[in-house]
Amino acid sequence: MSRKHSSDRADRFQYLQTLVTEFQDTDNDEAKEQVLANLANFSYDPKNMDDLRQLQVTDLFLDMLTEENQNFVEFGLGGLCNLSMDRECRDLILESGGIPLVTARLSSRREETVLSAITTLMNLTTAASRPQVTDAAVVQCMLRFSLSESPRLRNLAGVFLQDCCTERQVARAEQQMPGGQQTVLGIPLPADSAP
Amino acid sequence: MAAPVNRPDCWKTPEIYTHHEQRKVCISRPKYRDGRKAKAVKVYTINLESRYLMVQGVPAIGVMTELVQRCALYGAIEEYRPLDEYPAEEFTEVYLVKFLKLTSARAAKRHLDEKSFYGGVLHVCYVPEYETVEDTRLKLQDRRRYVVRMCQNIAREREQTKEANEEDPMPPDPTPPDPTPPDPAPQSERPTTSTAEKPSAGDYAPDHSSAGHYFGFPSLPLPPREDSWYRRNTNQARPLEDRMGSLHDAITDTGPCETPGTSTRVQHKDTETRVTPTPASAARFVPRTTHLENRKRRLEEPRDPLLLSSSSDVVGENSPLIGPQLPEPPKLDMEDESLNTTVHQIRNTLKQVASVPENKPGKEKKTKPRRRI
Repeated sequence: MSRKHSSDRADRFQYLQTLVTEFQDTDNDEAKEQVLANLANFSYDPKNMDDLRQLQVTDLFLDMLTEENQNFVEFGLGGLCNLSMDRECRDLILESGGIPLVTARLSSRREETVLSAITTLMNLTTAASRPQVTDAAVVQCMLRFSLSESPRLRNLAGVFLQDCCTERQVARAEQQMPGGQQTVLGIPLPADSAP
Repeated sequence: MAAPVNRPDCWKTPEIYTHHEQRKVCISRPKYRDGRKAKAVKVYTINLESRYLMVQGVPAIGVMTELVQRCALYGAIEEYRPLDEYPAEEFTEVYLVKFLKLTSARAAKRHLDEKSFYGGVLHVCYVPEYETVEDTRLKLQDRRRYVVRMCQNIAREREQTKEANEEDPMPPDPTPPDPTPPDPAPQSERPTTSTAEKPSAGDYAPDHSSAGHYFGFPSLPLPPREDSWYRRNTNQARPLEDRMGSLHDAITDTGPCETPGTSTRVQHKDTETRVTPTPASAARFVPRTTHLENRKRRLEEPRDPLLLSSSSDVVGENSPLIGPQLPEPPKLDMEDESLNTTVHQIRNTLKQVASVPENKPGKEKKTKPRRRI
């Protein structure tokens, strides 16, 4: 039985490795997207996180953030969102300079990408990384998101502002917002305009 | 029981978000990674999941109670209401169901999506847009805690397995191995994460006779365990994930342990079958150091002010704006002459009107009765 279980684990690792290899070897974008989505979905299960970490899939996902193909970006960031829940993966992502790569994606047109970026940033917040994560530009961005029409975006930005930022940081970012909060056009302000 | 969802914006016409739509299934997967069920290419993150489910396609024949009862099979329901404002196909209704736990919602979605119900076919999806900020926060916190706990358990079990394997080849042991009966003492402090080997889908009973194992087996009935991910087991029709990693569809036994996968498998490794990439597979596996170096170079080249200003609170003049740009407020130049154009025109007209009676002093003004239209 023990051999059966260890072989299960070996098979699982082998399978994940095959996926990674296919991703690296194939030129077909459609196949790449499928495999990337598979890896990102496998990243959701804590059981796989160790194997994926060994296979350097965190770097694979980070590489996707600078791709032209928006599906690659979306799936890669989804994978990072999933993996960064694990502390060791989080540390790996931080070591590989993940924060600026992720914050750059906050300006993506795709909502899923932006949502994954916000969640990933929250996961990447440690005592050491907090100054970088709560940089004034990022806080201002989150303030703008907290006024968005999209409820998911509003909620996530709200959680970020409340959990990752100090009140002082938020107040300062509010003051520095171009034009101030009250004259924002095109974005309906909630009745209670406090973030 | 039937509690309407109290939200100030519940009277607004709900948006039809793209994540509600069913995507086309992917038909081009190679066999080795083709799952049992055709699925679309989609990545699930915690943001897409929610305790809130929307159920479409419910036949409009007054079966709300039956629907709620069916949903309740997967876990306690906190609230539910019909979504009259959501566009629905003819003769069907749409319902919003809020579960107490995310795992229940996950199970319900897995079991009810695409299933027939009183002559119709249900389409079930998560609707995280109905969450409050607090809902979202709790969801993220729960998820983080769950992952951390699971990873710790897995790491701990692997340590214990390693120790056990190291102890194995030691026959002259001060405490002689006692394969039967099991010794519950070491297990008693870990009630939820038993180090005992679990039977796989009822294939075999707990084997006490493995040579040299110190692990005892709890005398309690085993908690529900997840099946092996790639084994097709018809006895337990709930694989944890398929070859496409679709774990989000995994159901859990909604018993006392509500988080999925709380039962764990001990990885009994024989020393000769150590799980490491074999030399043969290493040849196929391309090291990623080159990619890492490329990325480092890319990071270093454009000196991103964002990286430099990490210690400051102020956004510099040159720092790139993150996130979408807002439309700029109209700039008002108080010195601009055009602001006074209308005023000048009015003044001129008034002057003209005022000057008219001076030219014709003789004319008498008759007050005509005003005609009201």
